[in-house]
Amino acid sequence: MSEELSKSFLSYYSNLSNKVFSLLSFERIFGGASRETYKIRLKDSLGSEERLILRLSQESSLIETEQRIEYLAYSAFQKSNVPVPILIDMSEDDSTFNAPFMLMRELNGEAANPFTPNGYSPYEQDIGIQFWSILGEIAKRKLDNDIFNTFAKDLDKPFWKTELDKWVKVIEEDSIGVEPILDAGIRYLYSYPPKEAKNICMVHGDYRSGNFLYLKNEITGILDWEMAHLGDPLEDLGWALSPIWSWQDKDRPAYLIPRDEAIEVWESSSNCKVDKKDLEWWELFAAIKGMAIWISAGNEFKSGKNIDPINLFSAWIPGDIHLEVILNTLESKI
Amino acid sequence: MKPDLNIALLNAAQEIISRFSPLIEDEYERSRLSSWGALVLISAMKLDDAGASLDKENQDIIEWLLSNSRIKENELEILKSADSEDNSISFLDENNQKLRRILSDEVEFLESDGQRAKVRSAYELFRSMHQRRKVSDLVGLLQQKID
Repeated sequence: MSEELSKSFLSYYSNLSNKVFSLLSFERIFGGASRETYKIRLKDSLGSEERLILRLSQESSLIETEQRIEYLAYSAFQKSNVPVPILIDMSEDDSTFNAPFMLMRELNGEAANPFTPNGYSPYEQDIGIQFWSILGEIAKRKLDNDIFNTFAKDLDKPFWKTELDKWVKVIEEDSIGVEPILDAGIRYLYSYPPKEAKNICMVHGDYRSGNFLYLKNEITGILDWEMAHLGDPLEDLGWALSPIWSWQDKDRPAYLIPRDEAIEVWESSSNCKVDKKDLEWWELFAAIKGMAIWISAGNEFKSGKNIDPINLFSAWIPGDIHLEVILNTLESKI
Repeated sequence: MKPDLNIALLNAAQEIISRFSPLIEDEYERSRLSSWGALVLISAMKLDDAGASLDKENQDIIEWLLSNSRIKENELEILKSADSEDNSISFLDENNQKLRRILSDEVEFLESDGQRAKVRSAYELFRSMHQRRKVSDLVGLLQQKID
């Protein structure tokens, strides 16, 4: 499959650039569950090297989203204080590579495993300040009208209900077992909703450790925008703060800086004030949304639609952790 | 059957992680095989007590329902099958799913009825169910094996 794809890619990219290229490497990156991601190195006839990233929509993917949404989200942050890769091309039809795709330049840097403590050591402080500050930049970014209008067509109020309904529907459709803890968590969220957000912003949808590139003490790119949508800025904050991303050191969300400091940096960067109670709601929501994603992965695996081990891993390990997060929250409320 | 199933799986996981995975040059395929090794390792470690854990959970749910919910012993048809001699995991799991559904519905009723003490007691049951099932505490061990 990879050889056939690499040949098609070489032909496509030579046509697109109007240059003759030879392929140096074409490697799939392990881990992405919603897109197949390939790291590509090419050389032109003058010996100049190009490093590219190709993202293909998977026929059976954990999170089913349109390629166009991801492309537009990246577009919204080109040349901004939010570092993102430079986009080259995208297509929503499958005539080129048998799947919709997006092509961009590769950024320098590496991504850490979100479940490994001390992945950012010894640069936790520097990276931490950038991580929470960039999230604030996303929240306060004024979007281009065309991009805003495209996202706004799916916008419904209140934001919390739109998002909760969406993920509860995924749970109902994909559930392969009864989870009384999850059921109780969902009932709690519907019973005690947050206030409606004053600011509407672009929500990344999966802003967390592991979804950005870093080089020593600098964040070089924010990745994986496929769940981007408009909504409440606290949604991303709640997701990024979720204890799942720092399970072995819960006081340092994302294994970076202490929680209180992280919130202060975010408030200062976003110009938003955190309402503690509303943030608690969004943090519990993050665990419910997480469960929807892990349940969906388990369903893909069980049904045989996609037996990538990452789907079984997701159902077992993050699924366990988020259930525990929900139970911890419920116990603290009773 | 000797050696036992869990020992066979443990050794298989060890071979996948330490022997075969490093031989693969393609980074994606190597990571994918290592993940399989880790998942087989988890399976091996949980296999031995999987049946007993399900049986214990079923007994705990039944006990809790009879003490804290509207369910009466004669209404709980599931009790009959739970007393069966069949100890297969599939049979225990089938009962477990039915019991979990009843439990969830009863907790919902208690919440809406404002019976906080009983809801608190349900959360205690949830906690013991979760502790028995969870595999997330094996993550550290898995990382050591893979590293």
